[in-house]
Amino acid sequence: MKKKEPMKKKKEIKVLLVDDEIAFVNTLAQRLRLRKLLVDTVYDGEQALTYIKEIEPDVIVLDLKMPGLHGIEVLREIKKIKRAIQVIILTGYGTDKDEEEAKKLGGFDFLHKPADIDLLMRKIKEAFSEKIERAMTAATFAEAGDFDEARKIIKKEK
Amino acid sequence: MEYDELITSQLSFIGKVLSVFSHEINNHLAILKESVGLIGDLIELGKTSSRKDLKEILKITQSIKNQIEQTTYFCDKLNGFGHGMEEPLSAFNIHKSIDELMVLLRRFINQKMICLEKDFTANMPLIYSNPLKIQFLIFCLVEKHLKRLDKNSRIIIKTVYSNDSIGITIIPKGNLIETDEEVICKDEIYKHIIKQLGGSISQKTADETTIMLPVSLFSSSKQK
Repeated sequence: MKKKEPMKKKKEIKVLLVDDEIAFVNTLAQRLRLRKLLVDTVYDGEQALTYIKEIEPDVIVLDLKMPGLHGIEVLREIKKIKRAIQVIILTGYGTDKDEEEAKKLGGFDFLHKPADIDLLMRKIKEAFSEKIERAMTAATFAEAGDFDEARKIIKKEK
Repeated sequence: MEYDELITSQLSFIGKVLSVFSHEINNHLAILKESVGLIGDLIELGKTSSRKDLKEILKITQSIKNQIEQTTYFCDKLNGFGHGMEEPLSAFNIHKSIDELMVLLRRFINQKMICLEKDFTANMPLIYSNPLKIQFLIFCLVEKHLKRLDKNSRIIIKTVYSNDSIGITIIPKGNLIETDEEVICKDEIYKHIIKQLGGSISQKTADETTIMLPVSLFSSSKQK
């Protein structure tokens, strides 16, 4: 009898939601959990930076205008601390300047509130796929001894 | 004082109010959208049969109702602000005007982590003046302190009424920080508006500013 191969467990996507609108962020978290994502929430930029020092989410969904640190500053810090984390901006305020700045700093995408849940899910999955692909490509180069190229891929340099 | 500079500054103030308002409304709509979406998700998953499921749905519908009430309250404030601009002179309650401003700019002030407090006199009559100019004046004085105060500071707006004049005092409480952030309203602009309104400005300390404005009291004969 043919031995049954163990099913490969699909990696769950870890998402951190950062927004000072508590009602919004908690409801959104509930909806994303129903879609099988592992979701945590924090309510300002400083909490987000403390969180990522302990835990590495795959994707962060980040608001811009929050009390204290502005989302753009938070994005800049995230990329300094853990470059591989993908960041999607989700804001009710964003200007063209913010969008340009977010892109320059390595933000994955820029969405406006209120956003469609299917669109947000698609962007989270795309961001996660890109993160995994980059890690795998970097690992291939590192195995071949090309550490410079591996580093460039991780840092998303051209 | 250049006329263009004055107009630009007032338009920037109105632009600030409108952009903060639309930001707030986008957030309210996002909450409503996610709440309705969550009910849809629960129905699609068939989570509607038990008593516990129904309780969860009732909780969400109650939060939608609360959110709509908050949004209506917020829209009323913009409505009042808009009416204040319709005519150069109108009869209004200055405390309501200041409240309007505080609610409309709440998100902008919260971002600075500064608390705006009021200390209103109990005997303020209905006055006949230009509400937009007075709101702009208060914004100018508050904005100046918002840029210079550290987080967790407070700004108190105090009002008095005596001898057909109203007094508005802005009292900052907290640590000062170095900043090169630009303000919408420069000193010469608000001083010009005070002059236009026939008022005066005085400073008790380096930071505590009082403006005194002569006002006509509203009487029903002015309505005719």
